[in-house]
Amino acid sequence: MHPILTITGVSKNYGKLTALDGVSFEVPAGAVFGILGPNGSGKTTLLSIILDVLHADTGKFSWFGNTPQTNNRKQIGSLLETPNFYHYLSAVDNLKITQAISGRGDSSDIDKVLEIVKLSERKKSKFSSYSLGMKQRLAIGAALLGNPDVLVFDEPTNGLDPVGIAEIRDLIKSLAASGKTIIMASHLLDEVEKVCTHVAILKKGTLLTAGPVDEVLAQEDIVEIAASNNDALLNTIELMGGFSKVKKHPNCLQLFYPVGTAQLESINKYCFEKGITLQQLQLKKKSLETKFFELTND
Amino acid sequence: MFSLLQIEWLKIKKYPAFWAMLIIVLLTYPAANLMFYNVYLRITTQKGTDMLAKMLLGNPFAFPETWHTVAYISSFFIILPSILVIMLVTNEYQYKTQRQNIIDGWTRRQFMTSKLMDVLIVSSITTILYTLVAIGFSIYASTFDASKIWDQSYYIGLFFLQTFAQLSIAFLLGYLIKKAFIALGIFLFYYLIVENIATGYLKIKAAKIGGDIGRYLPFEISDRMIVAPAFMGRFGKDLKEAYEKSLSEVPTQIILSLLLTTAIWAFCFYMHRKKDL
Repeated sequence: MHPILTITGVSKNYGKLTALDGVSFEVPAGAVFGILGPNGSGKTTLLSIILDVLHADTGKFSWFGNTPQTNNRKQIGSLLETPNFYHYLSAVDNLKITQAISGRGDSSDIDKVLEIVKLSERKKSKFSSYSLGMKQRLAIGAALLGNPDVLVFDEPTNGLDPVGIAEIRDLIKSLAASGKTIIMASHLLDEVEKVCTHVAILKKGTLLTAGPVDEVLAQEDIVEIAASNNDALLNTIELMGGFSKVKKHPNCLQLFYPVGTAQLESINKYCFEKGITLQQLQLKKKSLETKFFELTND
Repeated sequence: MFSLLQIEWLKIKKYPAFWAMLIIVLLTYPAANLMFYNVYLRITTQKGTDMLAKMLLGNPFAFPETWHTVAYISSFFIILPSILVIMLVTNEYQYKTQRQNIIDGWTRRQFMTSKLMDVLIVSSITTILYTLVAIGFSIYASTFDASKIWDQSYYIGLFFLQTFAQLSIAFLLGYLIKKAFIALGIFLFYYLIVENIATGYLKIKAAKIGGDIGRYLPFEISDRMIVAPAFMGRFGKDLKEAYEKSLSEVPTQIILSLLLTTAIWAFCFYMHRKKDL
């Protein structure tokens, strides 16, 4: 099966500033693909290029295994950077324009998506009268028109309240469960970790890593242990060995093992034999946040 | 092509400024022509001069001269649809919908074609209003003579071309400047002040610099497709000679207007294909 999106060596400069530097990766069909990076890392620039709003200086991309074509974009529901609508028109009239340009869906779809994003009651109000969160919901609704198989979301939870954020997260999860491919840029790591199957991390326009979330994160096993006296525990555990490094935190110690080599039972047994009773013993996966900071910190 | 037109209509039909412009034009064209008609009436009804004036001038508001007279007077008010055209293009920047239209699936060429259609729509509506005013005024101001109705109706085409040419300049300003108020300010300043002063100055200096090059200024190029009607007496002593000279230059002005307008749109299409949005 062709990847949904293939990006090959895409670079973009603004004068002396390098916004993207030879970025390449593939988005497989059915993936929820998170593009992560700090502000100014090139996430939106990358999405703008694949949606033909910006021209790449070098490199290329292809949707659905084809070279860029207009009709490709019509099959993709997109929210890029900000909700862009005609201020003097209502939600319904704005979606009629989206529908007419993209050819996605029919008139009954407009009511359907407004229902999904909870704007039915205000569907006849002018866009200019909407709150930031409502504008964002409308943009998500526009992307959902015609139930496209591929969705591109740039910071989809921008401007939403906590309930709204949770709703959009659930919506993305249910869209992913129905087999849609979702490409999502975000700097909310928790969001991405909760919904994404794949991830790419950008920093100053350079791609640091890309792949399935499990592969990107699971390079080490982390075991967290704690006892009533963590200093004594540290001295003891250092004699045990077998791990690649140990980190002391205020309430616990973290032992780092190569993937698949941590054995909780033997750690527990060793400590018990040395007269230390563990209060905490837990195998933890590295959080995306930890990995992100590890990669992006200078 | 038809779908682009439908989409532009979706954008325009609920835009309040569009209807406001339509109403203002609808009021302005008849009002301005009425004003000139009253001037004509005053001249021709003054004791002693009435018969002479009538003989010399004819009735400029009767068919077929009404096409020319109303076109000339109405063309002063190109500023009204120009404001609308500038708003229509700068709105797309203000709302960032020029990006969204592309994201949703249009090509850059389709977007620019849709804007060209906007200008064509506004030009067509303005021309229809002019046509209605010319016909209405002639019926109001003279004895209706059906046989002469279409004699000078080519002024409908000239009026449309002049409107389209000048609205294209307004579009170009809006497209390049992107901010509505700055674009409107520059447009008004240039259209009302700079070009009028430059045209007047170049006319005075015509003998010295070997010809009236003011006719090549952007708005003047198309302004001179519809020359001032003879009754307005802007030609001084050598009225007949100057009037005929102006008329003889019309074909050149038409070609220049077509060239300038084509160049403007070719530039806009090229720019939109090349630039980042």
